[in-house]
Parts: sequence; structure tokens; C-alpha cells
Amino acid sequence: MKLVCLGLNHETAPVEVREKFALSENKVPEEVRALTECRGVHESVVLSTCNRTEYYAVVDSEAGHLDDWVCRAREFTGDREGLFYHHDSMSAAQHLCRVASGMNSMVLGETEIFGQVKKAYAVALENKSTGGVLNKLFQRSFTVGKRVRNQTSIQEGATSVAGASVELAEQVFGQLKGSSVMVVGAGEMSRQTAQALQSRGATSVFVTNRSFDKALDLAEAMGGEAIHFDDWEPTMEHIDVLISSTGAPHFVVKPQHVEAVRRKRKFRPLIMVDIAVPRDIDPAVGEIEEVYLYDIDTLQNMADRAREQRVKQLEACEDIINEELTKAALPGLE
Amino acid sequence: METAYLIVATVLALAGAAHGWCVRHDDGKSRRAFWWMLGVFIAQSLFLGVRGELRGKCPLGDLGEISLFLAWSLTLFYLVTGTTYRLSLLGVYTAPFVVILQIVTLVPGSLDYDLVQAEDVDYWREMHAPISVLSYGALALAAVAGVMFLILNQRLKKQKLSGSLMMGMPSVRRLLQAMARIATVGWIVLTIGVLTGFKVDEGAINIHFLVATVIWVLYAVLLGTYFVRGLPGRQLAWGLLLLFVVSLLVFGKL
Repeated sequence: MKLVCLGLNHETAPVEVREKFALSENKVPEEVRALTECRGVHESVVLSTCNRTEYYAVVDSEAGHLDDWVCRAREFTGDREGLFYHHDSMSAAQHLCRVASGMNSMVLGETEIFGQVKKAYAVALENKSTGGVLNKLFQRSFTVGKRVRNQTSIQEGATSVAGASVELAEQVFGQLKGSSVMVVGAGEMSRQTAQALQSRGATSVFVTNRSFDKALDLAEAMGGEAIHFDDWEPTMEHIDVLISSTGAPHFVVKPQHVEAVRRKRKFRPLIMVDIAVPRDIDPAVGEIEEVYLYDIDTLQNMADRAREQRVKQLEACEDIINEELTKAALPGLE
Repeated sequence: METAYLIVATVLALAGAAHGWCVRHDDGKSRRAFWWMLGVFIAQSLFLGVRGELRGKCPLGDLGEISLFLAWSLTLFYLVTGTTYRLSLLGVYTAPFVVILQIVTLVPGSLDYDLVQAEDVDYWREMHAPISVLSYGALALAAVAGVMFLILNQRLKKQKLSGSLMMGMPSVRRLLQAMARIATVGWIVLTIGVLTGFKVDEGAINIHFLVATVIWVLYAVLLGTYFVRGLPGRQLAWGLLLLFVVSLLVFGKL
């Protein structure tokens, strides 16, 4: 009996192929049961996320090729060249640990995958498709995931523009609970950034856009309030963060706009995030004492630096994986 | 004996500053700075206890004692407020200042060793002096928070967002709250100090009393402006820092 892993992910398959193999939450139990019922397959766990579909199985020599079975099950007849990656024994165990630790994710070090691996294992356990090998292996991978999270800094720093904005806002305001955000320009980047702030506790969101309908749509989607483009300036009195991303060829936010509300704001700190190109916020606004102004380059640099820092942590993560996988013999890795 | 306590307090403050600086990225999760400063506080209290016993009154009779009493007040306010605001990094910034004040006490000549037990004590003076120095402990801590704010503010404004100075720094909002509230506590205690000072020497107006009153008014204007009208954080931080340094220099001269 040996441990095998077959999978495809964002590095091996384009989205139009990945979506053919992706399984909805309610299909996974069925898939796990079907795989375990195959001849020569003793145990299995199926992991399906937006970026990967992976099969972990304990098989013996009677088992056929896993990729044939998977392609049949998914009715995939396209070119398989380079589509799947295969791992067995120790290599499969190491791969699972890397996945659980976020080392194999599109955003290096992301934490969501840890919960997804746990869920995949729980589904397999519920469907009685795990045994002595996969139970121990998955438990060990959870230990690895926790150690990597606690003992390395692979998850530190924001790796996206939206995340970097949140990080800066937290450096100024601490907790964002109860903070107010104004979005100038109802574009996708503004939406993402405002959503990231909302996810960390920002409560009031004001949206303004030249096209009021678009402002209404975004405000509705975010549970916020739409403001006519002619009326956005007085709203600055109440906000803590301003995100601007319009398509205007000139500065939209100028020093006089902030000067007009400084006294009313009692000189409270104000973060301004300019993610537009050409820029929406006059750099002179950043010279006002309580204003912290950041443009797209600053945010992008922060995200790049965080990514570099995370890559530097990979070696330490590999050491943890090897230490955990060798400290007590796991069955199926011989 | 008291010199030994003083040396222990100084070594602990130095070690606390160094250790706190090394582990500052854990700030908010650990209370290490608190424990170091608690050790400093105990050693300082023992020193002041011995000196008070020898003098038979509050130990504020020479430069060394005043300096140490100020360091003690600063440490006390850090222990009370620093942890309340989860600003354990404040301890890291406070410790070097405490070290400087204690080095002043350690300088030969700043402590008088031929102490004579006091025979009669002016109770107003005995209240006025320690309460005033205590208030300067709080105002010193507010100035330390101001220094932290200025560093953080400068780095955020100049977009220098990484580096060792940023590690474990509290947020701008938290530092603003800490500066304003600690300074307010200091100002309230200073008010009591000024009022008790009025009773010393039957309310006779002297230069010391005038300077103290002017400083009290300046702090009142600064804090009143901040709370009522509002003030950019940088101006509040500079105000607290300058007022503290000026009052320290003026009282040093007096």
C-alpha cells in the first residue's frame, strides 16, 4: 500500500480547465465515496478549492491510474500533458504539508487553505473513507500548518493593494471597528479596498461617483450610502479613510477640500488612499498635518516587499515540514 | 545601602530597555516591559524609603533625590497607564529616560550623604514637593508618548513603513489618546501641587510659585485647545515635549 497524491492547480491548469475539475461542496462526499469504492483504493480525501483540486489516496498495486479515473469521472477528454502533478509516499506527504501551510497557494502564506484542508479531511472522515494512513498524515499536516503559522512569518504583511491599505489604516487607527470610509469612484479596486476595510470592522461606507447609478449599485452592495458627486466634500467631516479611484485626468481631491473641514474634524487623523492612475489626490494634500496620503506605488511596494519577505520564509517552513514528517514514522510513506 | 538599590534600579532599567527593544515585535502580546519596570520601581522605592528615613521627611532635598523621585514618578505612571493602554512599548521608550535620570542621581556630588534628621516639618511643603514631582512624572510620560508619536508620524508621513522603529509601535490613535489622557492626569496632579504650593510660606509670591503657575496655565491652554477646538497630533506632541523640557530646565535652574 502506498500514499499517492494527484492534483491540478493554478500553476498547472488554466481556469477553464480548473473549473471542469472543481467540485461543489455537496459533490465532494459523493466523489470521496466513489473513489474509495474503486478496486485497490483503501482510503481517500478530496480537496477542492477555487485554485486546486487534489486527490489523496492510499492505494495498492491493483489500483489503476488515478488520473484515468479522475478524467473519466469529470468527463474530461482534453490534453492531459502537464495538467496533473503526481506525488507518492514522502513526496505526497510533503506536498500536503505545503498545501496546508499556504506554501503552495497563489498568495503565498494565505491562511484560508488551512481551513479548507481541514474541511476536506472532515468530509472524508464523515464518509468513512479515511484510515490509519490518511488520519495520521492529515493530523500531522495540521500540526505543520499551525507551527508554520506560529513560528515563521510567512503569513505576515499584506500582499495585495487592498490588504496594504488595511495595514496602513490599522497602523493609524488601531482597530478599524466603527471607522467610516468614503469611496470616490465606484471602480473594482475601490470596491476591493473598501470591502477589505469593512471586513476588519469599518462600519459606515459612503460612495460617490460621477455616475450616481454606479455609486448607488456599489453602496447597495456594501450596505453603504451613495452620495452625489457634487456633495462629497462635506462628507469628509465624518470619515476616517478616503479611497479614491476615479478615471479623472486631473486631481479630484485638493488641499482646499481638506482645509475646509479640518476644524470641523477637530484635526482627527485621515488616511487617503489614491489607487488611481493618473492620481486623483493632489500630493499637496499629504502635507496637511493629520493627513496620511498613500498612492498606488506605495501600496504596491508594500505588497511586493511582503511577498519577498514571505518567500524568504520558505526555507524555515521546509525545515518544519521535514522535522514533523521524520520525527515519528508515518504509515504509508515507506 | 541606598546606592546599591540605585544601581539595581539602573541596571534593571537598562536591561529592560535592551530586552524590550529586542522583543518589541511581540508588543501587545507580552507584558515583558511591565515586569522590568516593576523591578525598577521596587528598587527606586527602596532607595527613596531609605533616604526618607534618613531625612525624616520627603526625600527631595538635593538634585539626586529630585531626579530619582522624578524617575520613580515616571515609572509609577507608566505602570499605571502604560499597561491600561496596552502600550508596553512605552516602557521601552520610558526606560532610557529613567536610566538618564538615575545616572544624574549616581553622579558624584548630586546626593548629599551627610543627612541630618529633620526636627520640624512644614506639612504643606511636604505635600507640595512630592505631589509636584509626581505630576512631572506623568507629564514626562506624556512627553515620552509624544516622542513615540513624532517618530511614528514622521515615518507614516514619509512612507517609511518598514524598519525597526516601526516594530511593535501602537497606532496613531492610541498614542494620541495616551498623550492627552496621561497629560491630563499630570495636569490635575500639578493643580493640586500648585494649590498646596500656595499654602507654603503663607502664600507668599516667589519666582518658583510664579513659574509653576505659568507652566500650569500653558499645560491648561494646550490640553484645553486639544479637547475643545482640536489640534493636530504633531502639535500636541511637540507642545507636551517642549513644555516638559522647558519646565525641567527652568526648575533645574531654580
